[in-house]
This record gives sequence, structure tokens and C-alpha cells, in this order.
Amino acid sequence: MTPVDLAKKLRRDAAFEPAALDRGKEALMAAIRQEAELTRRPTIIPQLPYADIRAAVSFLERAFGFQEIRSSRMEGADGVLHYALVEFGDGVIGIGTQGAHGAVSPQSGGIESQYLSVAVADVEAHYRHALAAGARIAREPRGPDARAYEALDPEGHRWRFVHQRLREVPTKA
Amino acid sequence: MPREPDPAIGKNRAMGSPSDAEVIGRSLGDPEAFGLIYDRHAATLLRFLGRRVGAKVAEGLVGELFRIAFERRKIFDASRESALPWLYGIGSNVLLKHRRAEARRLHANARMAGGLEAADRRAGAAALDARVLFPRVAEALASLPDDERETLLLFAWEELSYQHVAEALELPIGTVRSRLSRARARLRELLEPKGKRRDRSR
Repeated sequence: MTPVDLAKKLRRDAAFEPAALDRGKEALMAAIRQEAELTRRPTIIPQLPYADIRAAVSFLERAFGFQEIRSSRMEGADGVLHYALVEFGDGVIGIGTQGAHGAVSPQSGGIESQYLSVAVADVEAHYRHALAAGARIAREPRGPDARAYEALDPEGHRWRFVHQRLREVPTKA
Repeated sequence: MPREPDPAIGKNRAMGSPSDAEVIGRSLGDPEAFGLIYDRHAATLLRFLGRRVGAKVAEGLVGELFRIAFERRKIFDASRESALPWLYGIGSNVLLKHRRAEARRLHANARMAGGLEAADRRAGAAALDARVLFPRVAEALASLPDDERETLLLFAWEELSYQHVAEALELPIGTVRSRLSRARARLRELLEPKGKRRDRSR
């Protein structure tokens, strides 16, 4: 027998459970989705401070139609949420802890140092949805600036929703 | 000895379905398309890794293999129809990090091969011969330099052609040939020390 034939004799068929393939696929797809998500993340991400991050995320989802990126959550062992990311269309905003990185929630600072402009296709529909969800309306979509409205979230951050025809971000019904 | 069908490089798709190269190209813009590469080749690679390190370790390694492949998909040579040799190459590198598990596996295989030969032949002398011989083959394989063992096993166990071994290890085909012949010579030497025939050396 040649050395190669001898080596072939030591070859064994390796049985594996079929479930191993499925587990591998699932893990791969999760890794791919995570990377895909990172690569389409915008280069500038505003970070907003909140005293109650969980409540803020829940409100932004419910009232404004934002969506949390769950894989980016930073949660303490005690279950306290320290950081979250929410997205809307191709925009992403960080929801951080009040006082961290020198940023203060308007709720405790008593001042709004900025506002955020969000482009939506249907301002009126977005407005009605936010109103029904309990958003404080700071400026109605009426008068000469009828194609925009402004709302305050529970901690007083100001959001301005502006009509932009080309935005295809669906308003959550 | 039971064998699964050959990997069927380049023949593993129905007529009209996109080639691996096309799928990988598409996955640059649509990353999730890469899942199809897994569907096509994961079973073959899981068997390949399983033969070398056992099913349990192989499951972890195949995950590592595909994550590396996904990250490197931009540099996949699109002129190659099948991604399988390329994936074997990544698998070989992943295996190098797990040399110890592989040596254990080789010895387990040697025990099994010895036992099987014994049952096959039912002849005292031949059975003894097999039981003594296969551990020595395992020893010899384990003591080959990494690059020679990898080349030999891709050729002998995975039955890749010279061309596909060359693609997997990113070597000129001439280097594959010379590595294989070095591995053969070294095995011969290790199995038959001092040039004696093994049945007389005992």
C-alpha cells in the first residue's frame, strides 16, 4: 500500500446532527445582519440624554414611529437600560443616560439647546398619530408653515416633523 | 469503507441557478444573499472539519469559517465558478489553530481503522499488522509539517483535484505537486524506518 492509500484508510466519515447545520445558519445570518446594519449606519449620530431611557424609547416608538435597534442595547446586570439606538428611515439617534458625556435632559436642565428635524412623507398623518399617542404638540401643522409640526417628548426634547415628498418612511398606523 | 458522495465542485447547482461567484458578487450589496453559500457548502465543510477534529469542535469551526468567508467575500476571485475550494482553504487555516484536537482525532481514527481491518480479515497476523500499522500512520500524519499534512489530506481525504488544492491553499499547482510528493516521501520514511519493509521490521 502506498502512503496515500494508508492515509486514506484513516479517513472516517464524520456524522453530524442535522440541527448543527441549522444552528450554524442562524448564527451566520445573525452576524451578517448585524454587520449589514453597522455598515449602513450614518456617519453622524445625534445622542439625546434622557432620565428614563426605557420610557423614552417606548414613547418614540409609540408616538413617532421610531424603531429600536435591539442589538445595540446596553443593559446593566440590574436590568437598567443605559443606552439604546432608535432608527427612522435612514436616520439613527442614540438614547443615552442623562448627565453622561456632559449632556443634560431638558427635563432637568430646563432648557432646550437643540431640536431635531425629521423628514416624513405625510405630516398630517404623522401629527394625528403622535397626538393620539399623547405627544405634547408645541406647534400645529397649520398656518403658513402647515407642512411641518413640532412636538415635545416626555422629557421635553423638541421634534420637528417636516414634509418631504421623496421620503418613503411609512407612518405607523 | 462508507463514503459520502464527492463534493461535486462546480456541479452542485441546478441549471440556471446563479454560480457561487454570482451569489458572492450579489452579497456585496445584499449581504444576506451570502446565506445561499452556506446552504450550498456547509454540510461538505462540516464533514471535512468533523473528520479532522470531531463533530463537536467542527460545529464551532464551521461557524468561524463562514464568518471569515463573509468578511473576506470582497476578495473572492470571481473567475472561480465554485467557492468550495476557497472555503476549504479558509477551513484549513481555521484548522491550524486546532492542531491538538486533530492529533487526538487521528489517533482515534487509527484505533478504529485497526479494529475494522481486524474484523475484515479475521486473520491473526493481518489483524495484528493493522492494529500496529494504523497508529503508526496516525503518528506519521500528525508529525508531518502543517503545510504538507494539509495538502495531503485535502487530496487524500477530501479528494480535491490538484487544481482545487492549489486554489484552496492559494499555491501554484507545481507547489502542490511538490508538497504532495514530499509528504509521500516523508510518510514512507516514517512508516518504514531505515528502509526496511514494515512486516520484517517487527
